[in-house]
Amino acid sequence: MTRHLLVLLPFIALITLATEPPPPAPFDTMMEVLTHKRCMNCHPSGDKPRQGEDSHLHNFNVQRGPANHGVVAVQCGSCHQSENNSYSGVPGAPHWALAPKTMAWEGLSRAEIARMMLDPEKNGGKSLEEIVTHMTEDELVLWAFEPGVDGEGQPREKPPVSEADFKAAVIAWAEAGAVIPDK
Amino acid sequence: MPTNFNLNGQQATTEADPNSPLLWVIRDELGLKGTKFGCGKAACGACTLHVDGKAVRSCSYPVKFIEGKEVTTIEGLGTPDNLHPVQQAWKEEIVPQCGYCQPGFMMATAAMLKEIPEPTDEDIDNNIVNVCRCGTYYRMRKAIHRASQLSK
Amino acid sequence: MSKPKSKSRRKFLIKAGIGTGLLFGTVYCIPIRRKIAEQVNVAESPYLGSTDDPKIWFEVTPDNQIIFHSPKMEMGQGVFTGLAQIAADELEIGIEQIKVVHASTELGNIDPFATGGSTSINSLWQPLRELAATMRVMLINAAADQLGVAASGLSALNGVISGSGKSITYGEVAAAVTEWEVPDTPELKDPKTYKYIGKPTPRVDLMDKVTGAPIYGMDAEMPGMLYGSVVRPSGLDSKFTAVDTTLAEGMPGVVKVIVEDDFVGVVADSYVNAENAKQKIKVTWELNKKWDDFDVEEAIKVGKGHPIEIQKEGSAEKLLEDGAEGLIQSEYFSPIGAHAQIEPNGCLAFVEEDKITIKMSTQVAEITRKEVAKRMGMDKDEVIIKPTFLGGGFGRRLHTPNAIQAAVMSKAVGKPVKCFFTRKEEFQNDSFRPPTHNVLKGKLTADGKIEAISHDISSGDVMHGSPLLPGILQKIIGADLGAWRGGMIQYHGIPNYRAVSWRVKLPFATSWWRSLGLLANTFAIESFMDELAEKAGKDPVSFRLDHLTETKADIRLAKVIAKAAEVAGYRNEATGDRAMGFACSTDVNTPCAHVAEVSIVDGEIKVHKVTCVMDPGLVINPDQVRAQCEGSIIMGMSAVLYEKMNVKNNALYPVIYGAYEMALMKDAPKEINVVLLENSDYPGGVGEPPLGPIGAAIANAVYRLTGKRVRRIPLRA
Repeated sequence: MTRHLLVLLPFIALITLATEPPPPAPFDTMMEVLTHKRCMNCHPSGDKPRQGEDSHLHNFNVQRGPANHGVVAVQCGSCHQSENNSYSGVPGAPHWALAPKTMAWEGLSRAEIARMMLDPEKNGGKSLEEIVTHMTEDELVLWAFEPGVDGEGQPREKPPVSEADFKAAVIAWAEAGAVIPDK
Repeated sequence: MPTNFNLNGQQATTEADPNSPLLWVIRDELGLKGTKFGCGKAACGACTLHVDGKAVRSCSYPVKFIEGKEVTTIEGLGTPDNLHPVQQAWKEEIVPQCGYCQPGFMMATAAMLKEIPEPTDEDIDNNIVNVCRCGTYYRMRKAIHRASQLSK
Repeated sequence: MSKPKSKSRRKFLIKAGIGTGLLFGTVYCIPIRRKIAEQVNVAESPYLGSTDDPKIWFEVTPDNQIIFHSPKMEMGQGVFTGLAQIAADELEIGIEQIKVVHASTELGNIDPFATGGSTSINSLWQPLRELAATMRVMLINAAADQLGVAASGLSALNGVISGSGKSITYGEVAAAVTEWEVPDTPELKDPKTYKYIGKPTPRVDLMDKVTGAPIYGMDAEMPGMLYGSVVRPSGLDSKFTAVDTTLAEGMPGVVKVIVEDDFVGVVADSYVNAENAKQKIKVTWELNKKWDDFDVEEAIKVGKGHPIEIQKEGSAEKLLEDGAEGLIQSEYFSPIGAHAQIEPNGCLAFVEEDKITIKMSTQVAEITRKEVAKRMGMDKDEVIIKPTFLGGGFGRRLHTPNAIQAAVMSKAVGKPVKCFFTRKEEFQNDSFRPPTHNVLKGKLTADGKIEAISHDISSGDVMHGSPLLPGILQKIIGADLGAWRGGMIQYHGIPNYRAVSWRVKLPFATSWWRSLGLLANTFAIESFMDELAEKAGKDPVSFRLDHLTETKADIRLAKVIAKAAEVAGYRNEATGDRAMGFACSTDVNTPCAHVAEVSIVDGEIKVHKVTCVMDPGLVINPDQVRAQCEGSIIMGMSAVLYEKMNVKNNALYPVIYGAYEMALMKDAPKEINVVLLENSDYPGGVGEPPLGPIGAAIANAVYRLTGKRVRRIPLRA
């Protein structure tokens, strides 16, 4: 049995090589992450965050509030601290908050999200370089790759791309001129 | 390593594991039972207390983050001889039924009134999102408005 | 106060009711079962405990306070306050001089039944007044002895006995008594002279509850106490077959891992350590059949279970046969409901060589005591239950296997052990409100009256299987009176009516949930009444009144209906974006009607105002009766608009608040107008009746707005 498999191995490898699609463009790799629920849940178009693997509206009528940090008695920080909490399953990262409404990605195409992200009018006056830094260094952004466990102790789904590949893709995309494909 | 903080105006210290939820340190180690356990998942709000004046759900707050901060629980909000306006209003409107969730609601209300001294019904709807199974919301709303009056 | 022996003992008459007179004789034939069923609906509930000895109910302290040891538990319903009012009046003492506490079972003041079923005030109304009046006479007689004057010349006021130029406090009298004499029951007070009964009185537990006093089971402590945690299954109907505790034993703070035939637990030095260790216990569960929502809904359908006719008048069955001309038929569904009380179930137990001490939130101290004694092989008198305030009851604490678990773990480690459910365990191991399927059939006469109506109720168990009612009584009664509660046709003017209760066994525990079957059954009947009224071309209010008779119960219901329509200004058509819905029912002798004012906001049903008219008979505390109406309306609204447990892949979900959607502040009606009628001089039940009509009142309003009849809870516009 084992010998048979060994004989077959080179063929399997060949087939794999032959059928592997070309690597995705850095833009697509980056967008795989940004459009994942770990990011989208807190980039809503409305005034309520979403949560969970099914991206339902955040329970308990949780609101954006005047400064994206919730309302006075129900601030994000009432429950979310600066790191994930494995007892309660409440996720956490530094400056946990909703993305500002100018960064409302919900319902947008990848190209629209990218254009919004690069627009200093909407991104808080950030240059491309600052955007790259934000996406590759900000702890809240990178929380997506360490999203902890949920209330039942089950690991949250991570984006389909690793943190390293994401960072590399962001940098490659920016270095290649931050081109936004027409699609 | 001990964690030091201020609890209801007094110095408190705990040797608990840094990741222990603050709720259990306050209830079981420091012996203040007014802060309640309802779900342990920051959902029901029964464990709401104040950290540096802001409403926090203590079941989801690791004790290591409390170092040097000020914690107020229902026991520190007011005492039988000197009720906080929120407690006074709760008493006047005869809000509690089973009463178990009420400290959390009072703490959330006190945090809200600090920032919004005269809340509208909509403010109340948005800010007070704890769970009460006895259904005392109707009287609570009246008590919140009354507390606002009493605070003037 | 010492506990001197009383010289004479006398018995108070215990009224016949369920559990006593009614059920004697082995009566298996159907008509008698129907009679029992009908009686259960209107009978006054007896108090089943001993009411022989006033001094175990009332402890007089030297500082002239009376400590009232209540056998009924305070779970939010305000019973401590109502009972204190009743006692204060007959004791001639200020209510502020009474401190109400839960009676420890060692005192002997034990309610062998339970706190529940809206029976506390109703059952104690007579015996408690007699006890308090007797205690007053005992104090006066003792004062007469001590002062050397005739008792006839003495009278009591505010805890002070005076006459013949002398006065002495209750406290002073009691301190000097070595032997009490219990006289015959004196004459009770003239209702005109009540100071507290019937008056709005602030709750006696208010100060504790606004200052966060440690009064609940969860707050209980004993010196040297450890923390226990029990592995509870996620899956339905599962038994553990194997367990590996190796990893758990090495966890920080672990004192002992305990493996019993029926559970596995761990004891540690803190709650967090116990929970952490529990996660490391590997349990293999054996499952029976795999269940999903679909299987439950199929199982629960009318026709699948075992039927018992609970009500029959005329020939409804024949008139409403399949295919009968003019047959109108509708079916209604309600889901599995969770108790979701905020204080999790728990228990603190300390097992010593010759006694077991238990502090906990329970609705059934005596049953808890017996169960623990049996398991631990001790006499029940060696088990002392010290009940605490309940952080919500709602029926959840009528089963207390957690007391056994805490006791077993305490014995294993030789120290007090406190153990309680996690929230997930609460949601998955609740004794749920059973799902129901209700089929209503009806037929109208040419002039738009109901000629015949029938109601088939299919439900999981409520009463059956409960330790509260012994198996023999369950056999005699036959149908599950918890499941069919509220399911009888209450419009006795209909010439032909019939109700049938179908019993279905489900693979998870279903049991008592505040108001039991009333919520789902009234939803079905009262929705159908509106459907029939519309077909008859009649106004829903007058249509209901048209089908009531001149019996006492019907007259009381009619008065409630008319008053609710009047106070709410009931209109049959929508006004702007709002519409009103009407519904009513009688439960535990208390008729209640609601008018709900509803709109649809962003596709969701919004209840703006509820007018509630209820006639509980004699009202002890109008403020707390109102509080029960407000709370019942909001809890009922929560249950019919939002709540639903799902069976997915053999487990119940959701397991946390929020995902288990419940009414929040924003959802509660901004206006609740409660009007109380008192068309009986006896206090009826209060804590559950106002839950009954809320579902249909809302659904009937939604119909006015959308033209769509919603027949499934949770209601969706």
